[in-house]
Amino acid sequence: MPDKSQLARIGGRAGRGLAGLVGIAVVIATLGAATLVTLPALELDPQSIEVAPLPSEQQRVCPGPLMTLAEDSAQAQSASSVGAASAVYGAVEADGVTQIRPQVTEIRAVDDSNSRQPPLLLTVPVQTGATIPPLVAGSQSQVAATDTLGGLGVAACAEAVRDSWIVGGSTDIGSTSLLLLSNPTSVLATVDVTVSGESGLIDAPGAAGILVQPGEQRVIALAGLAPNVKSPVLHVQSRGGQVAAALEQSSIRGIEPGGVEIIGTTASPATEQTIAGVRATTAVTDDAVTTGEGFNADTPSVRVFVPGDIAATVQLGVTSTDPAIEGTSTQVQVEPGIVTEVPLSPLAVGSYSVQLRSDEPIVAAARTATVGAAGKDFGWFSASAPLEGDFSVAVAAGPSPTLHLVNGGAADASLTLTPDSGTPVDVRVAAGASATVPLQSGARYVVSGGEQLWALVDYSGDGVLSSFAVNPPGPLASSIRIYTH
Amino acid sequence: MQPRVTAILVARNGAKHLERTLKALSLQTRKPDSVITVDCGSDDATAKMLAEFGPTQFIAADADLNFGQAINAAVSVTTPPAHDREMLWLLAQDSAPDPTALEVLVDALEIAPSVAVAGPKVMEWIAGEYIHDLGESITPAGTTVTLVESELDQGQHDGLSDVLAVSAGGMLVRHTVWDQLGGFDPALPTIDDSLDFCVRVRLAGYRVSVVPAARITSAGDGVAGPNQSSRGRLRRRRVRAERSAQLHRRLVYAPAGALVFHWLSLLPLAFIRSIGQLLRKEPGAIVGEFSAAFGAAFNGRRVSNARRSFAKTRTLGWDAISTLRVPSAEVRRRHTLKREASLFGLYGERPEVRFFSGGGAWTMLGATVLGIVMMVPLLGADTLSGGGLLPLSPNLSDLWASVGYGWRDLGLGFVGAADPFAAVVAVLGSIAFWAPSFALVLVYALAFPLAALGAWMAATRLTDRGSLRALAAALWVLAPTFLIALADGRPAAILVHLLLPWLFFTWFAAARTWSSSASAALLFAAVAACAPSLTPALLVVWALSVALAGRSIMRFIGIPLPALALALPLIFDQGLRGTWLNLVADPGLPVPSAHAPSLQLLLGLPGTDGWSGVLDRYGVVGVDPQLVVPLLLAPLAVLALLALLLPGARLASGAWLVAVLGFGTALAANQLVLAAIGAEPVRVWSGSGLSLYWLGLVGALVIGLRSLHRFASMPGVVAAVALAVVVLPLVSSLHLGTAAVREGTGQTQPAFIAAEAQIDTRVGTLQLTPQVDGGLLASIERGVGATLNQQSTLDSTDQTLSARDKAFAELAGNLASRSGLETSADLAEFGIRFIVLQPAGTSVEAAETALRTETALDGNAALAAVGDTEFGRLWQFGETDAAASIPLPARAGGVFRLVTLLIMIAVVGSAVLLSLPIGAGREAVRQANRDAIRRAARADGKQKQKQKQKSKRSRRAKGRVLESDLATPLEPPLGTHLEADLAMDRETGVGTGLESDNGLEPTGDGDAEESDVETTDTKHSSAHAAVEVSAAAQVDKKTNAEDDNAR
Repeated sequence: MPDKSQLARIGGRAGRGLAGLVGIAVVIATLGAATLVTLPALELDPQSIEVAPLPSEQQRVCPGPLMTLAEDSAQAQSASSVGAASAVYGAVEADGVTQIRPQVTEIRAVDDSNSRQPPLLLTVPVQTGATIPPLVAGSQSQVAATDTLGGLGVAACAEAVRDSWIVGGSTDIGSTSLLLLSNPTSVLATVDVTVSGESGLIDAPGAAGILVQPGEQRVIALAGLAPNVKSPVLHVQSRGGQVAAALEQSSIRGIEPGGVEIIGTTASPATEQTIAGVRATTAVTDDAVTTGEGFNADTPSVRVFVPGDIAATVQLGVTSTDPAIEGTSTQVQVEPGIVTEVPLSPLAVGSYSVQLRSDEPIVAAARTATVGAAGKDFGWFSASAPLEGDFSVAVAAGPSPTLHLVNGGAADASLTLTPDSGTPVDVRVAAGASATVPLQSGARYVVSGGEQLWALVDYSGDGVLSSFAVNPPGPLASSIRIYTH
Repeated sequence: MQPRVTAILVARNGAKHLERTLKALSLQTRKPDSVITVDCGSDDATAKMLAEFGPTQFIAADADLNFGQAINAAVSVTTPPAHDREMLWLLAQDSAPDPTALEVLVDALEIAPSVAVAGPKVMEWIAGEYIHDLGESITPAGTTVTLVESELDQGQHDGLSDVLAVSAGGMLVRHTVWDQLGGFDPALPTIDDSLDFCVRVRLAGYRVSVVPAARITSAGDGVAGPNQSSRGRLRRRRVRAERSAQLHRRLVYAPAGALVFHWLSLLPLAFIRSIGQLLRKEPGAIVGEFSAAFGAAFNGRRVSNARRSFAKTRTLGWDAISTLRVPSAEVRRRHTLKREASLFGLYGERPEVRFFSGGGAWTMLGATVLGIVMMVPLLGADTLSGGGLLPLSPNLSDLWASVGYGWRDLGLGFVGAADPFAAVVAVLGSIAFWAPSFALVLVYALAFPLAALGAWMAATRLTDRGSLRALAAALWVLAPTFLIALADGRPAAILVHLLLPWLFFTWFAAARTWSSSASAALLFAAVAACAPSLTPALLVVWALSVALAGRSIMRFIGIPLPALALALPLIFDQGLRGTWLNLVADPGLPVPSAHAPSLQLLLGLPGTDGWSGVLDRYGVVGVDPQLVVPLLLAPLAVLALLALLLPGARLASGAWLVAVLGFGTALAANQLVLAAIGAEPVRVWSGSGLSLYWLGLVGALVIGLRSLHRFASMPGVVAAVALAVVVLPLVSSLHLGTAAVREGTGQTQPAFIAAEAQIDTRVGTLQLTPQVDGGLLASIERGVGATLNQQSTLDSTDQTLSARDKAFAELAGNLASRSGLETSADLAEFGIRFIVLQPAGTSVEAAETALRTETALDGNAALAAVGDTEFGRLWQFGETDAAASIPLPARAGGVFRLVTLLIMIAVVGSAVLLSLPIGAGREAVRQANRDAIRRAARADGKQKQKQKQKSKRSRRAKGRVLESDLATPLEPPLGTHLEADLAMDRETGVGTGLESDNGLEPTGDGDAEESDVETTDTKHSSAHAAVEVSAAAQVDKKTNAEDDNAR
């Protein structure tokens, strides 16, 4: 019967269509469900070992006495030292108790035409059997009171490094900046100095390939490299041997000395920078600040520089150690390659810590000035690297040394400051907070109990102001994570 | 004295044939004087029929009696012969004689008293005009030769008389001679029993004669003579019995002195012949080959019995029959002729690919042009680098040495399994043997045309329309996952995309030919080696194929074997570690990739589509690629889904199953991080799964479009153009600079080290790479540097650190620090002569680590800075050969390497031999001839049927239907296996040689026709169909066409 077969055919087609629709539904449902469902993941972590390198001989170089350029105009570029700096140094074994006596030698100050007291080189040899390096610290201080030089300059005795940044100095009228490069290693160091200023990178032909012989200190007038730069930032790189770099800045206001400072290296470029302490001795109000041409060099400010190619948005937080004073936070846009001064205002008298958070790596340091009966002085406060674990601080002689601490750890830190002689001091620093501790002048402390601290020591007195940041031993000796495949 | 004939009829379960045989026996013009029927334990109506026939004697015997023994049983009940004119006529259930057969045979013995055995012309049972066999002989080497076999009988052999031997069925033998020689050798159950008997007859001084005028049939039931069924098991048994018989005869006939030699040659010969069996696509015969050899070797009693009885009756030397032997050259000539015919049949039946006329060449040309456009920045490159691309070992021996279990010269080096991918790389490198690294350039240069070719060929399995094949090729070439793999420099993923269409191509035909099956197995191994993550999905498809394969199950069951053999050592090693999941880690140099959102994977994109980058670059706003890309890909998805509604839906659902499996693989891979390179975790590449996904999609799309007939072009073009727009940024990735791959220098290390490596090939270089987390990746490279073939997932997935790893890390950590460690001794111990600090990336932490490391190395008194190179800063340790390089450990893999290598060689080698399409062997040729006869019989049956239908119609017109017509069976009665095969063929349309291209006929009713599953069953050995009789084949084609119309 044809009807039957026709019906069968129609039925077959309908069945086929239905099956097809079911198939489509199944496919879409399967794919859809697989797409929407959150699947469990199996992610194996890469394997690695944290290797703590065997301790090696440690060296610190103190910058030496303050220098001044010769008054003799025929020798405008030759420097001579003024007076002598007094240094305090020491080393403690990792247990924090056993004192080690560093070997002290001298660095030849070849550029010093008046070499009375050369810079010191502290060497702490490897202790037999030690697996953890000893804590070494040293600092020097000097008060200058000559016709051209006045004020307090303190500096940390620093490790020679391969790559360092100095934020500070000026070669504007009335300012003199001298770059001190010391090579404590046994290898010739070839140093390239890159100077950037408020107008960008400064082309300085003499800044490349500066030779620093082993065991020598070179003094280079920054004005010779970058004249008339208000806000220089220096990047010091060495090949071969390594150098400890410092920048001595002095200024003259009219006919009076305007202060002196030995500016240590600041922390290398990173998106977060912490200046553990900034001391303001005079209050600043909003309207006291002007920018650009009329920028007052005495205004507390932060000098920020972006080494990269991309403009950075920097969040600048100023926190007082005095809970009564409210912190401030400002956001600034920093163009790449151009040094920018950000005024810290308004600012009450007191001590602060400054946090900089940026979306691009930056370097930074702060500066304040003081005026007293005895004269004027200014101080640079550099950013530093976090100190993980115990560290030691050597406090060079000077007026009211104060330790500034910032706790970057997640937990409150109960710190114990153990001086080499005297009673230990206990300090508690809340997580993320800062604290100040007065120190004994000329003492050496071991600070234990911290996990992640930033530290800076400042000195202030009547018309004198100075500081040095406490940095951990160079990353070279820190442990490193090694992947073997 | 009158001649007296005793007919002995032996039957076993032969009721189907017995009726005709008994009837023919009763119609003899010269009736046998007595008839003895022997029933060998039948369980059907045989015994009843034999008894009812009214024989002189009826013997009910055991089932395990062979023909010779059954005859002997019958002979034992006869009276001993009084004179030499008493004769025995040996018959089987399927030996239906012509009415005059006995008369003619008896005459032949009567005329010539020296003739002791007379044999009839044995005809086919159903195709009665074909000679089943006529006379037998042996070659000088002793191989059995059937003088005439499976030929159309046109009287061309009727002049034949004196032969060496005749076949058992229908043989008339003098009773006295039978008794004198003791009948058939019991060691020869079915095969060569009569041959051996006749040889002994000849050497006892009698003659053997064939009488073509006497005709008798054989259905190949296996009672007298071998079972002729082409079913796998019976066929394998026959082949084995043939070899057993041949070996038995060789040992019996051989002079005593040569016996030891023959005995020792049994196993080596079995081995060599096995290789031959593989080449002849008879893998099933290998087991029989060895069991025959063992059987012959360890059944000495049978041989000695046979030798004794032979020696007793033998009066003449072998020279007496030398003229009756067939020269080997003649055998070869005959075989060549038949083989050509069978090869013709083999290729003649294949669907025409029409590569040039179908547009395949143009498609490839188009793909080549597109490839050149994409690769312009790489033109003229000698080597490539970037991504996962590394050079290969510069010489082939090193390349192949990195295959299998053994020393992995990676980093510190360890003993372990190589990835199966190393074998793929070795094959690839061997193609460019003059400079193996150039193989990767070749892959890139030919990637587009090869992908197009593969897809085009795969599409030939689905459609015969050139435009659809070209569309499939275009969609396959433009697959985003392929383009991303090319841009990222993932050689393994590229190979997967190139091989997958071929895997489908061969898999589709695997049911039909061993060659395809073995090729599929090799491609499976290659794909699984390149992307182990695809293995589960492929195994699912395989399991389904096996489940649905039916009779050709054997052709599917072995497909994963080569992959398994290659991965065996790795499975062992990862199993020892207990990290089974790591088996799916991507081989080769690990290339990190980001976690892809599931939706992106659904679009076939394992990475970003690149549109946002392009739009940003050219400042185009207002276009959201998140929205546009899915819209552009929608036509493709819709068409692929539509296929489920159109004819061919079953095949399309198979394609969708593949697609879903591929997508599932991609999703799972996306969730797996198994390996790491330094601090960077390496995700399993989801792109390989997406290649499979894409294969299913394109397949479904082609299946759908072919049912749209002439409406297919528009939607197809729309889908392709939309896809082309989507992949525009991927095609131009090399121009845009978003691709990782770039022209290489052929080196992975500074030239200074390369020069040193010329002198000391094992010079060690410590490579230090700063990591994003501030860590440092330290690895040792020996000689000229890392190679692709030495990469190992065992290393990249290792979650443990050995003591040596730790010591090495300690050294690296101290080298990268200001340290008090005396490094010289350690550097020498690890054989490090150079240290390269690779440049840090953009990360601040990495830059700090780089600086620190550089400072530390500069300050290391044991090291001398050489300078900055394009691969980073270089230091040298020691001035000259201060640090002795570490030699390659000898025999690192030990016995395990040897064993696994042998397994690999055996399995992969077998697959390679089996995959070579070099035509059919002797057995296949015989099979082909039988098939040709089968067709002829079928054509005959069809024509008769048609005539009857015609006559029926005419009669119906007259209004009268004759009862007798309806009662007449339209088909030959179902009897032999041959007929059963035939009947099945008729039902399924298989065995005609055209079954495979059903899907190629867009006019056909696509739905019922095929899915890859459907076509896999029953197809069996028809590939070997020989067209011995061209007329038969032509008739056959015609009938087949009719068949299709009928359906």
